[in-house]
Amino acid sequence: MLAASMLFVCVLAGCVERGDYPNRPITLICPWAAGGGTDTVSRQVAALLERELGVPVNVVNATGGAGVTGHTRGALARPDGYTLMMMTVEIHMLHHRGLTNISHADFEPVALLNADATALFVPVDSPWQSLGQLEEAIRAAPGKLTASGTVDGGIWHLGLAEWLLTAGLDPSDVVWIGMNGAAPSLQELMAGGLDFVCCSLPEARSLLDGGQIRCLGVMGRDRLEPFPDVPTFQEEGYDCRMAGWRAIALPQGAPPEIARRVAHALRRVVESGEFRQFMENTGFHVDWISGEELVQALDEGDARFGRLLHSDAFQSIRRTRFGPYFFPSLLLGLFLAIGGCLLATGKLGRDPDAPAVSGQGLVRLVEIVAWVVVYLAVVEWAGFVVTATVLTLVLLLRLGTKWPAALAVSVVVVPLAYEIFAVVLRVPLPRGWLGW
Amino acid sequence: MNEHLLDAFQHVFCDPQVLLIILATSAYGVFMGAVPGLTATMAVALLIPVTFFLDPIPALAAVVTLEACAIFAGDLPNTLLRIPGTPSSAAYADDAYALTRSGRSAEALGTCLTFSVAGGLFGALVLMLFAPQLANWAREFSAPEYFWLYLFGLSCAVVVSRGSTLQAALALVIGLMLSTVGFSNSHTLARFTLGQPQLYQGVNFIPAMIGLFGVSEIFRNVLVIDARAEPPAANRVATPARGMTLFERFVARPVASVFQAALPLLWRRKLHALRSSIIGAVVGMLPGAGADIGAWVSLAASKRASKQPEQYGRGSVEGIADATAANNAALAGAWVPALVFGIPGDSVTAIVIGVLLMKNITPGPEIFREQGDLVYSIYLMFFLANLVLIPVGFAAIKIGGYVVRVPRRVLLPVILLFCVIGSYAINANAFDVGIMLAMGLLGFVLERRQIPLGPVVLGIILGGPLEERFLQTLAKSEGSLAAFFSRPMAAALGVVCLLVWIVPAVLTIVRRGK
Repeated sequence: MLAASMLFVCVLAGCVERGDYPNRPITLICPWAAGGGTDTVSRQVAALLERELGVPVNVVNATGGAGVTGHTRGALARPDGYTLMMMTVEIHMLHHRGLTNISHADFEPVALLNADATALFVPVDSPWQSLGQLEEAIRAAPGKLTASGTVDGGIWHLGLAEWLLTAGLDPSDVVWIGMNGAAPSLQELMAGGLDFVCCSLPEARSLLDGGQIRCLGVMGRDRLEPFPDVPTFQEEGYDCRMAGWRAIALPQGAPPEIARRVAHALRRVVESGEFRQFMENTGFHVDWISGEELVQALDEGDARFGRLLHSDAFQSIRRTRFGPYFFPSLLLGLFLAIGGCLLATGKLGRDPDAPAVSGQGLVRLVEIVAWVVVYLAVVEWAGFVVTATVLTLVLLLRLGTKWPAALAVSVVVVPLAYEIFAVVLRVPLPRGWLGW
Repeated sequence: MNEHLLDAFQHVFCDPQVLLIILATSAYGVFMGAVPGLTATMAVALLIPVTFFLDPIPALAAVVTLEACAIFAGDLPNTLLRIPGTPSSAAYADDAYALTRSGRSAEALGTCLTFSVAGGLFGALVLMLFAPQLANWAREFSAPEYFWLYLFGLSCAVVVSRGSTLQAALALVIGLMLSTVGFSNSHTLARFTLGQPQLYQGVNFIPAMIGLFGVSEIFRNVLVIDARAEPPAANRVATPARGMTLFERFVARPVASVFQAALPLLWRRKLHALRSSIIGAVVGMLPGAGADIGAWVSLAASKRASKQPEQYGRGSVEGIADATAANNAALAGAWVPALVFGIPGDSVTAIVIGVLLMKNITPGPEIFREQGDLVYSIYLMFFLANLVLIPVGFAAIKIGGYVVRVPRRVLLPVILLFCVIGSYAINANAFDVGIMLAMGLLGFVLERRQIPLGPVVLGIILGGPLEERFLQTLAKSEGSLAAFFSRPMAAALGVVCLLVWIVPAVLTIVRRGK
């Protein structure tokens, strides 16, 4: 009897549990926004991984907090192999800056796929033809030149700091204007608002090919194939290297056989012609590091970034003149002034057209809010379809719909919504113990 | 040039694959735009792995059509349920929804569709004729110019709101304050997060928009659902269907209900539509600005020029027409810097640049010479996508029309369900659903206190960039306010921006003096 009911539940849920991994959709967490470089790489990897593993691989953009949001989510996910993380170089920087406790040690690194070295760009009409000339200009007028490429303390900023330190200058000799990414920085460079920009070569490729900007050097080991004319910093006499990278990782505690399975699939993805072609065309540099070598590289990288970020030289430029509460204080002042004016003139009164609040209506309103809160509390555990059906049913009944109609609506609408969002649009709606 | 155009014609019109893709993606785009929480960016991102296997022209056709259709479709939930499908629809949410409540949803949507298509076509024309010249102008925009532009957009949101300027200004400041929650890019620090790592990402504007407009409206309805028997929006067309030919019943009457008011309006307001499209195209072309600012600026210009400015925010067809023309015109604008310099104008064109690079096509000034046929194909696809939008959009309006006939007690829970899924979908994060709920309550309270919601939304969207540009300008000048006026274009924009605030105040004083 028990077995029969178990079987029934299983059939209902469509869950024929195959023992081998993977047997349901996988989520790949991308810590950066849709449309950016990491997102593009993530989606291409996901599409190819899907073919290797035979189950859907859905990309989720968990953005915000300069990568804190996404990396935290990846690290705290269940280590069952169904959540993969597209880890980026920022993992080495966030915890040294005290933004989170998450570090690379919270992940089971699988493979590094791509690394792009920092490069330095000036407008085509700029007087500097080489890094040496730029160094002299900085030395002659410390604190006068401005540069950007990413936010304050971002990877390209660190690249610049590394170069300045190697050249015997102070990182604060160049004013770094924090900008939200390479694209707005390059726009600012074109508009004459910056003296130079540090970012990766693929990010600046179209302006470079279009002859609008000049690249003075790249901080890689060797010259890059698509850009044979760009010298490395080493060739120019500066022994410094700095690259942003992207790697696939599992949450710490994932079973080794699953890690092996993912690594194997990734290896095949990276070796595939499509991936090579894609990376070559977009200009991203393929770099494959896995296993012990990767663990070691991550440990070394973390120590190196720690030294740089905690160094006195770098700390000295992290004091921004306008503190984080400067703008909010301005707003608060405005808010109080306007609010005060409105209060004084009596314009904050109730809208005469608005319906009066009845006791019954208020109870219903509070009830709706409460039901959504209950939904949020239960959904991760019970799954989307079950919880959402109950939520819809309860709300329909509470608003006065008759039983049969309410049941019909909720039983049709919720699974339909599930099909559209989870299956067609690839939104990983919460899965409960029933599998949906 | 003519040779390229001829080639382009061949690529676009003589390839059944391209035509098929345009048709299929138009339906997909309308759906993605109509569901709040699903954005055009997300729709395009989902297409990327597919585009890898397509030739450049079909791949770009998919993106162009998707974008053009999604931005119109944002008007559907905006009009029918007061849930803006895209942020650029939020500018006229109150106007469009007011029309629905008085039973004129077909007219409102007909206006949206007609002017969307007109704006879209004009935007494509601008892209085609002036792309390189305009790109050179847009290239001059640096931090202080952007600061003024964002402030100008925000000021316009205050100007167009119903109620007094002070009430709208309060709404704006509330929105800006909400935008400071979370991680600050300028300081690489988290603010006002109360120790919650979830709040690092700040208040995402999509759940906020769904909450402020959609959920607060649900709350308002729930409060009075018994008091009102059935919504006035459900008044069906009373004409009996008997005695009509099949053609009249299934073609002539539905078409007339949607277009009979909108087409004469377009003819009457052709110059206004032209002005709106120009505003949209120009604003859309600036990287970092976009359709949302375009819609608000155009609405403000429309209100200034209108003989009935008091109607704005209470169901003004003119306002809807001008704003919707601008946001569609802005789309093509965003392609200008993307094609000419490879600098993305918005998140969709950022993906487009990726697609182009993937196909071994590098955007840049040379693209017009070396890949002229491709560039002309993009123009043609913009025209075609906007034309395909007419029947597809019409069908969507007709299907959407059924929504207002559903009794409220059934409709409200289903809308709430979609609000919950939509807020979740953007980041697959339950926390965003909580944001939506909180914003719903905030919107409910603000509306009861006669504070408009539009400026709150724009404040949340532009607050971050505004602060960044403000601090960037100050950082470069070492704190001197003169930097905001030191470049000619910045000075001009700054003066315009200040006039928006000063002129109405002076006019009021002058009138009182009389």
